[in-house]
Amino acid sequence: MRGKVSMVIAVVLVLSTLLAACGPKATPTPVPQPTTPPVQPTTPPVQPTAAPTVAPTTKPAPEFIEIGASIPLTGKFGSLGAMVKPGYEIAVADINAAGGVYVKEYGKKIPLRLTIYDDESDPTKAVSKMETLFAEQHVVAYLGGAGSDMHAATAAIAEKNKVPYLGIAFALYQIHQQGYKYLFSPFPKSPAQTRDVFEVLNTIPADQRPTKIAIFQEKTDWGAELGKMWVENAAKYGYNIVVHEEYTPRSADFSAMILKAKSAGADALFAVPVQPDGIAMFKQMAELGWTPKFSLIIRAPENVAWSETLGKIGDYATMFAGWHHGVKFPGVDKLNADHQAKFGRPADLLTGPAYACVQILADAIERAGTLDRDAIRDAIAATNMTTVIGPVTFNADGTGNVLNPLSQWINGKLELVWPPEHATAPLAYPAVPFDKR
Amino acid sequence: MSAKRITVLALVVAVVAVLAALPLFVKKDSTINLACLVLLYVALASSWNILGGYAGQTNLGHAAFFGLGTLVARFTWLGGWPLWAALLAGACVPVIFALIIGAPAFRLKGAYFAIGTLALAQVLYVTVANKWPLITSLPARYLATYRLMPRYYLFLAVAVFTVGVAYFLVKSRLGLGLMAVREEEDAAESLGVSGLRHKLLAFGVSAFLAGLAGGAFAFYHVGYYPQFPFSPAWTFDTMMAVYIGGTGTVVGPIIGAVFYVLVKELLALKVVEAHLIIFGILFILVVLFLPGGLLEAWSKIRSALGSRAKSRKAALPAG
Repeated sequence: MRGKVSMVIAVVLVLSTLLAACGPKATPTPVPQPTTPPVQPTTPPVQPTAAPTVAPTTKPAPEFIEIGASIPLTGKFGSLGAMVKPGYEIAVADINAAGGVYVKEYGKKIPLRLTIYDDESDPTKAVSKMETLFAEQHVVAYLGGAGSDMHAATAAIAEKNKVPYLGIAFALYQIHQQGYKYLFSPFPKSPAQTRDVFEVLNTIPADQRPTKIAIFQEKTDWGAELGKMWVENAAKYGYNIVVHEEYTPRSADFSAMILKAKSAGADALFAVPVQPDGIAMFKQMAELGWTPKFSLIIRAPENVAWSETLGKIGDYATMFAGWHHGVKFPGVDKLNADHQAKFGRPADLLTGPAYACVQILADAIERAGTLDRDAIRDAIAATNMTTVIGPVTFNADGTGNVLNPLSQWINGKLELVWPPEHATAPLAYPAVPFDKR
Repeated sequence: MSAKRITVLALVVAVVAVLAALPLFVKKDSTINLACLVLLYVALASSWNILGGYAGQTNLGHAAFFGLGTLVARFTWLGGWPLWAALLAGACVPVIFALIIGAPAFRLKGAYFAIGTLALAQVLYVTVANKWPLITSLPARYLATYRLMPRYYLFLAVAVFTVGVAYFLVKSRLGLGLMAVREEEDAAESLGVSGLRHKLLAFGVSAFLAGLAGGAFAFYHVGYYPQFPFSPAWTFDTMMAVYIGGTGTVVGPIIGAVFYVLVKELLALKVVEAHLIIFGILFILVVLFLPGGLLEAWSKIRSALGSRAKSRKAALPAG
């Protein structure tokens, strides 16, 4: 009996391999059907910023413009990948609904075809997926996944293969300091995050501003990068750092740092904890009775689990999350409506920047007038357009000049509080002490 | 030399020759990259199998040796050491670590030993994350000349060397001693086989080979956090490959690694959303019904076919 079962299992294993080999391919984005009349998207059509200089070719036009992404849909960055993927998909659907991207070389619009693979939040698997996208799909451009680990690996493969790469969901500036030519990131980086917090504080009347800042610095590359830049900018803007403590990620006890900040009279807190650390930190701050008037907590409060777990304790925490669905730029309403229809809520924090990546790429292809990767790379570098994340240009190191909005938890709702012209609510300041909420 | 041994030797030479010629025929980096991963897992699985399969000591901290090899080789290589020296250093440091922790760790038996090694690996994982928090990315000037082919040949050399060591180890006095310890340590001791010495030796060899694989990985990978190779996933993936193929054999880890990497990758590419679930089910099926791995299935298929042929022969009229 057992022998027969073993044989069955062996057959199942072989069949599963064959089944996988014959199965559907990745997740290509639907392309417009010939019978369906093209629908005009609400997003303004992409305008080329420079006259294309490419002459029409006699080569037959490809059926699709192939683009690809290796995204962490499972594993530790799975929740980030889940916000990025719909942004790419909705943007591709919108562009394809208008017929695709006009490529002068072929004298016609060509639809985009997006292939997405799950890299399981593993840089080695991400490398493998990137190579497959390059060799099998012949992508003209890569779209990035999420998380610094993943971008460090995938951006390097893009550089090796000389394929333009548009990535978001990482603020680590260090990745842009490797001399990469093909990496572009329309996403706020550490320099903007550490500068803008002082711009925000300066909007508070001088006699009410916090003056003593505590930095709880995570022992990671991003933590070190932010810590250093906060210190530099504090000196530049005239603020005092009274406590600057380091901690190991996934620490359970923050009480020593909190008591130090409390005894130093710190009235502002800057930190970049992962969510479990951020939640533990705030719970212990409430228990120990230290309420900073202003808290910039990058990363930890970026999803609803923050508010659900902490309740009122989580209120007043602010963050630079890269985007907010409340920004007033063309195309945001349509994106929110599409996201609402699909997921029952407006676009997530990373969905807008992901959507913008596709807008930027489509614009660059149109301006390049060709599917040549180097020409597209040069066109991306020369980007000057307005997207759902606002105006976008790029610096020589591939970092984007983009809006860096500040969000804040107010009464259990994530509001956009800065800059004022986009704000959905004014900055809630000073924070009410934890025991009086 | 018996005819069977000559056949096996010819088969091994042919397989290695085909693998060595692969980059001459396959030009796609994606395929070469996949082959690199297969060879990496062959090396890791075979190295784990020396302690886990032959000595019967379930080591849940294999990632620590792989990680140490990666860490040392990466920093020395990027620091300007010749590659061979970096690889050697990457292979030797895990041996030192293994010998230091081995003596106290082998005081633990069975599940306690497994948990102890897992804890040690986790300690290293956290320590490395704290000590070296910066991403180690290959700078653009390295990427400008980055080619997969030399990486592939390095992985091939490491995999062949590892399998070769495993093969000769099994045939050696040490290998027989390891298997005696695995089957019944007290009985082995009573016959003069030192359990601790044999296990320590196996631990050292296993760590050396894992460190060597780590060095190759350091030379191959374009960018990762230094703690990444210390992640327990490397241990569990390796163990899955060994269990799928069959523990305590030379061929089992090779078959397991090939199956594990190729099927998982194929599923990931073709059934994006559900590939982990499907692979998980496959693994559970193997563990439940093929405790001896795919090798067991193969031997059962062979014996089933053999007995059917015999009965058919017997049923035929004489003459």
